[in-house]
Amino acid sequence: MMRPEDFNRASILRELGVTNTDAALSQIMSDMIATLCKVAWPRTIWRIYPLTWEKSLCLGDVPLPGKDIAAHLKGCTQAAVLAVTLSSAVDTIIRRFQATDMTKALFLDAIASEACEHLCEDVEKQVRARTDKPFLTARFSAGYGDFPLSTQSGLLRLLDAERKIGLTATDRQLLLPMKSVTAIIGLSDSPVHDARKYVCGVNCTGCPRYDTCRSRVTR
Amino acid sequence: MTLQSLLSKEFVFLDGGMGTMLHLSAGEIPEQLCLTEPERVAAVHRAYVDAGSEIFMACTFGANRIKLQGTGLDAVECVKAAIAIAKKEAGDSALVALDVGPTGQLLQPAGTLTFEDAYDAYREVMTAAEAAGADLIAIETMSDLLETKAAVLAAKENTKLPVLCTMTFMENGRTFTGCPISAAALTLEGLGVDAIGINCSLGPQEVLPLMKELSAWTTLPLIAKPNAGLPDPVTGDYHVSPQEFAEVLSQYAEIGVQFMGGCCGSTPDYIRALRSALSTKTRDRSPRQVPKAVCSGTRTVRLDMPRVIGERINPTGKKRMKQALLDGDMDYLRGEAISQTEAGADILDVNVGTPGIDEAAVLPQAVQAICEVTDLPLQLDSSDPAALEAALRIYAGKPIINSVCGKEASLQAILPLVKHYGAAIVGLTLDEDGIPETADARFAIGKNILERAESLGISKENVYLDCLTLTASTGSGAADTTLSALRRVHEELGLETVLGVSNISFGLPNRPLINRTFLAMALTSGLTLPILNPMAADMMDTVRAYRMLAGYDENCADYIAAYQDTTAVPAAPTAEKSAQTLENAVAHGLKQEAAELTKAELDKGTQPLDIVNQMLIPALDTVGDGYEKGKLFLPQLLQAATAAQSAFAVLKANMSAENSGDKGKIVLATVQGDVHDIGKNIVKLLLENYGFTVIDLGRDVPPQTIVDAAVSHQVSLVGLSALMTTTVGAMEETIALLHQQYPTCKTVVGGAVLTADYAEKIGADCYAKDAKATVDYARTVYGEV
Repeated sequence: MMRPEDFNRASILRELGVTNTDAALSQIMSDMIATLCKVAWPRTIWRIYPLTWEKSLCLGDVPLPGKDIAAHLKGCTQAAVLAVTLSSAVDTIIRRFQATDMTKALFLDAIASEACEHLCEDVEKQVRARTDKPFLTARFSAGYGDFPLSTQSGLLRLLDAERKIGLTATDRQLLLPMKSVTAIIGLSDSPVHDARKYVCGVNCTGCPRYDTCRSRVTR
Repeated sequence: MTLQSLLSKEFVFLDGGMGTMLHLSAGEIPEQLCLTEPERVAAVHRAYVDAGSEIFMACTFGANRIKLQGTGLDAVECVKAAIAIAKKEAGDSALVALDVGPTGQLLQPAGTLTFEDAYDAYREVMTAAEAAGADLIAIETMSDLLETKAAVLAAKENTKLPVLCTMTFMENGRTFTGCPISAAALTLEGLGVDAIGINCSLGPQEVLPLMKELSAWTTLPLIAKPNAGLPDPVTGDYHVSPQEFAEVLSQYAEIGVQFMGGCCGSTPDYIRALRSALSTKTRDRSPRQVPKAVCSGTRTVRLDMPRVIGERINPTGKKRMKQALLDGDMDYLRGEAISQTEAGADILDVNVGTPGIDEAAVLPQAVQAICEVTDLPLQLDSSDPAALEAALRIYAGKPIINSVCGKEASLQAILPLVKHYGAAIVGLTLDEDGIPETADARFAIGKNILERAESLGISKENVYLDCLTLTASTGSGAADTTLSALRRVHEELGLETVLGVSNISFGLPNRPLINRTFLAMALTSGLTLPILNPMAADMMDTVRAYRMLAGYDENCADYIAAYQDTTAVPAAPTAEKSAQTLENAVAHGLKQEAAELTKAELDKGTQPLDIVNQMLIPALDTVGDGYEKGKLFLPQLLQAATAAQSAFAVLKANMSAENSGDKGKIVLATVQGDVHDIGKNIVKLLLENYGFTVIDLGRDVPPQTIVDAAVSHQVSLVGLSALMTTTVGAMEETIALLHQQYPTCKTVVGGAVLTADYAEKIGADCYAKDAKATVDYARTVYGEV
């Protein structure tokens, strides 16, 4: 279960592009955090697979195409693949608020994204506790840089995610339920790299979201 | 050997996991092995037959064309091969089941797959399996009740094979899509499956309480196929040993489970252990009584006390609802569904019958839209059997059908639908001769409806009777006739009773007083399902008070929760309120005040258009300016927009269509393949604020549908949203199609992955960085600025 105190309110505001809040917005935020905690039934799953580097990079039997993921995982011999989802009840409640109160829907949407982030951090801790590798890369997801979204279904298959946590991908590789994340964490005996080019603040120049990114504006 | 002969046994042993036994290497798909290496699959079956499995699953779990998309495999070919392999190993010692798993895609409205596509994918493999000699169909590991329904209907409507059906539940007793055990059981038993159960998801210890719950909700034979515990994330091994597994499963006998096997991580050793553990056991055979209930795909409502059926989604006598239906404005229906849910309704009636509406097309659409925003069970209300069937097919859950009557034609058209789709039915006590004047005659018609229903195998628990409310002003004794008939139906037949309450006061002054008094009388006479307007507080008050007084509300908890604050009504801060202006209320996002102040302006005689142009738009502009200058943020902009929306709702009720101040029509859609639509909905809200009429096509909309809507409504602007790199392609396609078929139309695009450069590249006329920018562009296109 999720607890209201687990939420990073500053980060939610940043996601919403709000730099100074007022009492009304704070109240909406508190209400929506409580709502999310009530309806979400978060599920997570992760597995460790070997990375093979012959010809092309593969995690288990799933090819990981693109220069960016290869650079990110350089030196790793294993990687953890993880998936988290807040369940379709969260999609439903966000949709319901869109029909009645768009501000609440917007908050709930951002709060749910923050909750996914929190779940990923939790999983990362579990991975750290179980692996004998001393160095872990940052999480890298399909869609970052040139690592294509089309890898999504392969990652779900490695996790048997549909059966284990009810997470699916559409034929256009959109995760459903919508409030879900998949990611890869490289595991290594030597210090690791971070090739997340455009991920929030690492390198804004050339980022495809440059125009709309709130993190950049407020930084 | 047949399923029937196995059913006479104490226990029926199924098989265990297939995937683990196949020792798949990189990239191998189990279904493919049936074609390329049949011996590997055969060896697994042989091992299970040797271990004592009496029914085993052919290697077809993922064999449907949706799941196999992109693999180059043909689902039907895989199934034919798989059944042939299994039949050979089964011989006379076991039955072969076509194993049917999920498509791997979520159905609408949660996902993009349509019910009929899922149905077709299942139908083709099921008919192929029957032709190839499969003995039965086992639908397994399902999470979405609607997808499960598609599979069950495909089996029942196209084959003669028995159907076993198991779903996957989490520790909280719900599937991943939120379906509770009770709703699964009510729906699947209604659809006529032969046995029902739980598989996968958890280990035997965790599934045990879930099975107990299931046994309380079905009279069907029970199936249990848990996992061998949970997989270790590092090694992938499952932690429950065959002995532990068998020990826990032998406790399942005490709750009456007859079919037992294993799922992920289990092997022939588990089946062997299970057989030996159960060899001396007997299963509980005490009769099970299922509580009376109806359900949606996510909520079960027990009929253990008077339950309110909300009547608001019905165009009869409601101009605004009629208009919404004619305009295809599903948001209005969604709004009515939400407000009735919040007001405390237990079930919602859905009626879309009005001239100019194709009910068979619109009723299912309306049902789907409503199910997106409420989890209440629905009552499908139509006199058109085709409309009812269209809605029944795509409804996840056990609905009520409203209604059948004593007329022969009605009985023949409606009752088979009730049986086939496992619904409950409201019977109206009228026939070819109209509504009888006496209670006895109404009772007799009701009794006949019940008998006809029972003769088709519809159980008494699923027949509700409506003894019909006639208006009290037509003559003395109208109310008494209704209540006498109702009392007899309730007491002598033991049926649930339905009554539309507010008819009673038609044509009389002070209708609310008559309505609530009649409601109280009817409840006392045995009314269990009043159909009423949940927004009428005095009606809900009466229901709550009745429930409390009649002993349905333990410790008066619900009553107290609903009314504990009413003694402390704060004095209305009149002075403060009167100082508030409409502009101010909108700018500060005060929804209720904005509506009240709009009403006040209208009462003062201010023209609706003046309110829009001189108060609302300037207020929105002020907020918009603040937003653009970075003084205000999106949440505040939206608060103002929502407040303005509530003001518009008041105005709409007071404006004629010609004088609505319409600034022009705009088509909005989230492109095909994309389901992220919050951005599009924000744009819609703002556009409507500025007086545009938005034709909202929703999400995942095919290019041609968008172009067709643009052409038929003759719009000058189409707005498209796409959130993912994989779906901007569909945006480009849509723009190209528009240029081809409707070149005068402008396009505005937005979405997180879009840039101005990219928008230009795909031929869009405008890239809007946010919702406000879209409004600004729309105002330019329609020559406002």
